[in-house]
Amino acid sequence: MTPLPPSGSRAKPSPVVAGLLSLVLPGAGHYYVGKRGQGILVAVLAVVMVALILWAQATREVDLQPGTEIILIVSTVAYWLWAIASAVSHARERNFLPTLGLILVLAYTYVLGWQVTEVNLKKFFTEFSDIYPIFTKVMWPWEAAIEYDVTNISATTRFANPCPENAADLPPQTEGSGGQTWVTIAPACGDFSKYDTTQGKLAPGTLLALKASGLRPNEPVEIYWTDAIGNEFRPRYEGATVKGMADAQGNMTVTFGAPQIETTTQVGVQRHTIEVRQQVSKTNPHMSVDMELALNRIVVTIFQALMATSFGIILALPLSFIAARNLMSGSPLTLAIYYAIRFVLNVVRSIEPIIWALIATVWVGLGPFAGVIALTLHTIAALAKLYSEAIESIESGPIEAITATGASPLQVIMHAIIPQVIPPFVSFTIYRWDINVRLSTIIGFVGGGGIGQLLYQWTGQSLWSQAGLAVWLIAATVSVMDYASAEIRKRFV
Amino acid sequence: MLEVHNLTKIYEDGTQALDNVSFSVPDGAFLAVIGLSGSGKSTLLRCINRLIEPTSGTIIWNGQDITAVPRGELRLVRRQIGMIFQQFNLVKRSSVLTNVLSGRLGYVNPLFSLINYFPADDRQRALAALDRVGLTDKINNRADTLSGGQQQRVGIARVLVQGVRLLLADEPVSSLDPVLAHSILGQLETLNREDKITVVCSLHYLDLVQRYSTQVIGLRDGRVVFEGDNLTIRQMTPERFKEIYGEEAELVSAAKVAGEER
Repeated sequence: MTPLPPSGSRAKPSPVVAGLLSLVLPGAGHYYVGKRGQGILVAVLAVVMVALILWAQATREVDLQPGTEIILIVSTVAYWLWAIASAVSHARERNFLPTLGLILVLAYTYVLGWQVTEVNLKKFFTEFSDIYPIFTKVMWPWEAAIEYDVTNISATTRFANPCPENAADLPPQTEGSGGQTWVTIAPACGDFSKYDTTQGKLAPGTLLALKASGLRPNEPVEIYWTDAIGNEFRPRYEGATVKGMADAQGNMTVTFGAPQIETTTQVGVQRHTIEVRQQVSKTNPHMSVDMELALNRIVVTIFQALMATSFGIILALPLSFIAARNLMSGSPLTLAIYYAIRFVLNVVRSIEPIIWALIATVWVGLGPFAGVIALTLHTIAALAKLYSEAIESIESGPIEAITATGASPLQVIMHAIIPQVIPPFVSFTIYRWDINVRLSTIIGFVGGGGIGQLLYQWTGQSLWSQAGLAVWLIAATVSVMDYASAEIRKRFV
Repeated sequence: MLEVHNLTKIYEDGTQALDNVSFSVPDGAFLAVIGLSGSGKSTLLRCINRLIEPTSGTIIWNGQDITAVPRGELRLVRRQIGMIFQQFNLVKRSSVLTNVLSGRLGYVNPLFSLINYFPADDRQRALAALDRVGLTDKINNRADTLSGGQQQRVGIARVLVQGVRLLLADEPVSSLDPVLAHSILGQLETLNREDKITVVCSLHYLDLVQRYSTQVIGLRDGRVVFEGDNLTIRQMTPERFKEIYGEEAELVSAAKVAGEER
């Protein structure tokens, strides 16, 4: 048995003690051999790994796949063993596979992280088809940007439900003559398609034959149904919208089942209108109402950014001087003001504009003004910080040189200080405007007005082509701003 | 005639930069101030135009006590005293012409500078000065696009338009290579000989001191430890130079140092 080394001397750490300590708590051995920082890190990781396994089992947030727990436990145990081996090797002044511990922790993190965030690569690829139609509309939305003046030819006829007792009460079906456009339906009365609850399936309605003439030859025909209370819709039959096609003589026949119309509260015989409609000319293409709306809103958005930036400049300028350390380190009082201002600016800046927008909508209601308030607050904080840093980085040499020429204090400010701060001020301001344009599209999502709000509404209504217009306008505006600001900044800095 | 009597500067933190410094410079002299970094050269130069307020002592120039001039009249004194710097101290983002024009600030109405206006006469002076230092083609360049030697020439042009009688040069060539050092000091020599401008210039290298100065003072820890005229400079041995610089200093020539730094 070796005698204990005298206390106070630098004893050689015992590998056995290091191993045993690490068996109790990974990292304790490292701490014991003098690798204190590493020991604390190893211990914290071990505790977190064990705690997360327990958490994953207890919480409903995570639905562990079979086998995952085993992997987690095995990697934790392996990590534990590695910690022991590493501590022992450190005691012998070696370093046992330092990357192995890291690899085990990473493996653990990915296995658990995959489950916690519900990563599903299969879904990611197989369900792409769901997004594809939306994607194409958003990427190529220009059909929604243009509208035409449309001229139609059409004819209508009537249909009764239920069939009247007296045949004379049936809607008359008249065939026109000459070039006249007409349509008839046979039979002129019948039953609607109905969901049969006892059988659990759709019972078909009366089969109807629609016959029309006087149409433009070889052109498609649209069919519209207007029910007794005036709702117009395009009837569907066997999973498709009912459509017709005029033949070479301008005649058309279409057969379809009577549509499913709710009739439970119906009293007496009701008459429905069936219309055949053909588009004969599409002239005068012009900007659609939606496109006009989007353009108007992008102008609003640019103005929002402009207003927020200019308000921001006005308020940030004075703040920046009292937030500049070199100007405020004169006395304890000014230094205290400096720290207070810096603190407030940091708090305001660390709250995202979208949060400010939420607050502002409560404050002044939905609309562009709320967005301006949100952007202004964030801009003040950001610009005051940037400006004050520009002031802090002023060189004293030119001030000295200008003073030496016999310049008055005002001249020193105008010729030595202003030329030094103006270029960074301009540069930061333009950069901030650029950011504000981008942000103003986002804050619309929480009611801050502008094009963002429009985009939010359109996506909510699944109007993907319109949403695509908004997306394109935003992208165009942001890239123009981006380019312009880069160019202007290049000239100034 | 520039006379410095018992000049002392003690900074707020207690550092004694200048200790009872006295010397005089006749009109038209080229005075070299030598000494280690921290020996008080920069403080001495800045006391002369009161960029630094001396603690005690007097500075008499052309019969006027500069140390007694009230703050409000200081610009009348300063505009007659030019200064160039080791780091050139140009306003980097302004044009060469603007930098040179700032030499006229002691003469124009301060309110003019709010609109950045200089009389046409001043512009003519600035163009002439730039022509003299050979920078006619760089008038509209930003100052920081120029090389070190060119920037120092802008500094000299700024002094030229200022129409000075006394030039303070604070290590004007320490940031430049030996060829440029001679070119810049050559320009100062021309100002000294042709324009009869008295030059007070701090320098580091014996060969430059011997080549350009007519008079030398050596500073060590804020005290004058050496005073000599034209003849003593030429006879000054490297050993004597080393003595002024202190035992730890190596005697080096400008060419040697610059060669090593490259």
